[in-house]
Parts: sequence; structure tokens; C-alpha cells
Amino acid sequence: MKGAELNSEDLEGALKGLLGKGVVDCLVMPHRAGKNVSYMLVKDADKIESPASAIFAPSFSVNAANLIKGWTIKEKVGILAKPCEIRAAIELIKLKQMEKESVLLITVDCAGAYTNQVYAEHYADIGDEVDSAKIKELEGKGITIRESCAICENKLAAVGDIIIAKGAGGNVVVAGLTDMGVDALSALELSLEDKDLERAAEKEKIAAEAKAKLDALPQMGSVEALEEFLQDCIVCKNCRDMCPVCYCKECFFELPLGKPTGGDLLNLAELRGAIGLPPGQLFYHMTRVYHVSTTCVGCGACEDACPKDIPLTRFYPVITKKVQDIFEYVPGKDVEEPLPFTAYEEEELEDKLR
Amino acid sequence: MGEEIKGDFEPKIVGFTCNWCTYAAADLAGTSRKKYPPNSRIIRLMCSARLDPMFVLKALLNGADGVFFSGCHPGECHYIKGNFYARRRIAALRTILQQFGLDDRFKSYWISASEGEKFANTMKTQSEEVKKLGPSPFRGKIL
Ligand code: SF4
Ligand code: SF4
Ligand code: SF4
Ligand code: FES
Repeated sequence: MKGAELNSEDLEGALKGLLGKGVVDCLVMPHRAGKNVSYMLVKDADKIESPASAIFAPSFSVNAANLIKGWTIKEKVGILAKPCEIRAAIELIKLKQMEKESVLLITVDCAGAYTNQVYAEHYADIGDEVDSAKIKELEGKGITIRESCAICENKLAAVGDIIIAKGAGGNVVVAGLTDMGVDALSALELSLEDKDLERAAEKEKIAAEAKAKLDALPQMGSVEALEEFLQDCIVCKNCRDMCPVCYCKECFFELPLGKPTGGDLLNLAELRGAIGLPPGQLFYHMTRVYHVSTTCVGCGACEDACPKDIPLTRFYPVITKKVQDIFEYVPGKDVEEPLPFTAYEEEELEDKLR
Repeated sequence: MGEEIKGDFEPKIVGFTCNWCTYAAADLAGTSRKKYPPNSRIIRLMCSARLDPMFVLKALLNGADGVFFSGCHPGECHYIKGNFYARRRIAALRTILQQFGLDDRFKSYWISASEGEKFANTMKTQSEEVKKLGPSPFRGKIL
């Protein structure tokens, strides 16, 4: 890996340079908005101020990949975001929702994030960034990271074109993972050297902790439990709209068959005696979980988006992980690896047919 | 719908079969007078790959007591590789169904056009198995 260690001033210079030197035409990145952070689309490098206080902020608003999904522009877009967001962008490239060459993907280390609301409320306690020790300490005060973050195994920046890893003493290590990433860093005139971020042990520790949290979550197990879980769902489909990897231009659940109204509903009621309203709660979620089964990055944006506070992390990431395991597929890990549903092996999975 | 007692009811089973193999096997079973229970409503697809897992979900949610899918043996798809893709989709769907204990209500088979007898036997076993499971948990529910 080619990279450089930067202090926060140099980091600001480097990010400004991406725009100033024309490496990208625009940049999607977090910025400070009072006690919180949200995303901005920057064209003018001078708008980037003290980025270090925003890019590591443990606050989740939207999945940034969802913000640039389906753009049809010829300009090159830089996107600086957390691992789950860049992984979603990589899935979107594979799903042909964006061109690999048209985006520069920059991943930052993440230790876990709070919802926007929790973050703003407890900003005095949480601060601009956290590490796992701090997260544990805050947990003692009842300030907890999102459940999707608790079970997230992929917190270290390890995908995309460039990673920004936390280094010692407030410094960061910026490194290129792809040719595009290394070229971008070279254009910034950083003095690049071979960087070996020995993080295997840390990675393992994170994965083990995440797995323990995942295993401790309640399992659904039955139709009754599923019905109870979804009983408050009003089928607003916010979870779909905020999901980075739900990308259909025409969702089945907006079409007459998926969203029956009037006479169609009456016919269904006639057939079954009575039907629930709004219709299709179970059908919608069962279908959606299949649709995202191989591409869900476990970001928890769906749960954050639910107006009914349904803990959707216990549904989407938990179930999709089981599907991903049978294909030994980690979404967003490798842009060259084919999507499981677009590939096959001649001899496989016969134990799943019965 | 819905009042029957477990073990003592006639299950409703929805089957999705490929035109080139299992659908023909069903025909063969019929013309060669192999006996099998009449619980299944068969829907013909042009290939395994036409099986959208939504079909299975919809049938289950609408109260089918069992659902099955059957296509050409791997390597024998009329369109060369349709069933290889289908096998992956089915594996994913089954993994999801497992989370809610619905796995046993969904069966998947490979039955070629010449396997009329296998088709009849499969239908028999399946019908018995679904009978044992009892009516669908979605039957009669307001969904
Ligand atoms: S899901 Fe993982 S990468 Fe995404 S915000 Fe949470 S901890 Fe960070
Ligand atoms: S289903 Fe939920 S957790 Fe999975 S990618 Fe979509 S928004 Fe993120
Ligand atoms: S966001 Fe919540 S209420 Fe809306 S469809 Fe999704 S689960 Fe249902
Ligand atoms: S034609 Fe029968 S499985 Fe493709």
C-alpha cells in the first residue's frame, strides 16, 4: 500500500487538493452542522473547514451511497464516507447504478456510530470522535451506538480507492488501495511511501466483538414472531427509500400488483374474507429482504428511517448475513467479485434443495 | 378457510414447474396412470430461471400449505444454465424461509421429462409431509 501520514492540517490540504487539482469535480463528504454532522456536496475547496472534526464524527444520518445513486453526470464524484457507505457504493457499481471510473471512493475508519439524534443530544459527552474504549465508557452512561454498528464487522477502512485510517497522536494515514487511488494521492504531491497498516489483530478483535453482539440478538424463529415484529409497520417504504442497495427505478410495491387499491383490494378482501390495511406488510418485507439478501451492507439506514421505530436491523442485516454466508460473499468487499446471483458453480448448494 | 384439524385436512399445494422437464413429467405420470394425490395446482414456467422467489412468497402468504418448485436436473436446462441461477435464488430464499420456520413448506426438486414415476412419488411424499405439518400459519389470517 502506498500512503502518507498526515496531521489534521495536511489532511485539510489534501482534501482541498482533490478539488483544487481537479482530481475530482465535486466531493460528497461530511461537514459540521452545529452539534451534528451531515453531508455536503462541495465544488469550492474553501468550503472544506477542519474536516477532521467531521469525517470521523460517530453520527449516522443517511447512507452516503444512497445520495449519489443513479446520478447520470459526466463529472467525477469523490465520496468520503464510512465503510458501510463505501461498501454500498461498491455494490451499486456492481449493480450498474454507477460507473467505477466516475467515482473516487474514500473510506474512513469508523468505530461505530450513534443516530443523529443521540449524537446531537450527547455531543458534549461524545465529542468529535470515539474509539472502542470510549464507546464502552459511554455505554455505561446509557449512550449506545446503533445496533447495526454494534454488530458491524467491517469498521476498519479497507475498501474503496483511498482509505483514511486513524494513526497515532491525532494523525491519519492516507493510503491508496487502487491505481486510481494512488494516482489521486500522487496528484496531491504527497510524499508517498510503502505503508503497511498492520491491523489484522484489530480486525479480528472487532469481528469477534461484533459476532458476539450479533449472536446475542433475539432470533425470530416463527411466523408469529415475524408478525409481531412487523405489526406496527405502516408500509410507508421509508426503509426502502433510505436503503442504498434498493435501487429499482420502478419498485414492484409501487405498481398495481404490489400496491393494490380500490377494486383490486376489494377483490382480495372478497377472496380472503378480510385483508389487513395498508396491504402487503409481510409481502413487502419478505420480498425486500430477498432483494437485498446478497447486497445489504448492514448499515442500519433502514432502521434509522423507520417512523414506527421498528428495529429493522434485527431483520435486514441479520437475515441477509445468513444468505451472504452461504455464498461466502461480503458485499462491497471486492468490486471485481461477481454478485452471487449473477454467477454459479456447476456443483454447489445441493443441500439447499429439498 | 382455516378450520381444519392438523393431520386431517387436504393441503393446498402450489407447484411451479419447468415446461421442458417436470411439467412433461407430470403429463407422463398422468398418461401412464400413475396415482398421486390431487393436492397440487401446477403453474408452468418456461424455465427454472423464471421462478421469481416472490411467487413462492406470495403463494405462502396467501395461505398455500405447501409450495414446490421443480426443474430440469443441473446441466440439463433447455436454456443451458437457467437452473444454475435458479439454484442460487432458491438457496437464498430457503435461507430466509428458515428464519421463520417456513422452510419445510417449500420443496425444490429436479425431475426430468422421463421421470413420470418420480414425479408421482414425489407428489405423494410431499402431500403426506405437508399434511403432517398441518395448515399454513397464514391461513385465515387477516394479512
Ligand atoms: S455499520 Fe459499521 S461502518 Fe457503518 S456506521 Fe456502523 S460501525 Fe460504522
Ligand atoms: S437493508 Fe437496511 S441495513 Fe441493509 S443496506 Fe439497506 S438500509 Fe442498510
Ligand atoms: S420504514 Fe418502518 S413503517 Fe415504513 S415500511 Fe419500513 S418498516 Fe414499515
Ligand atoms: S429449461 Fe428446465 S430448468 Fe431451464
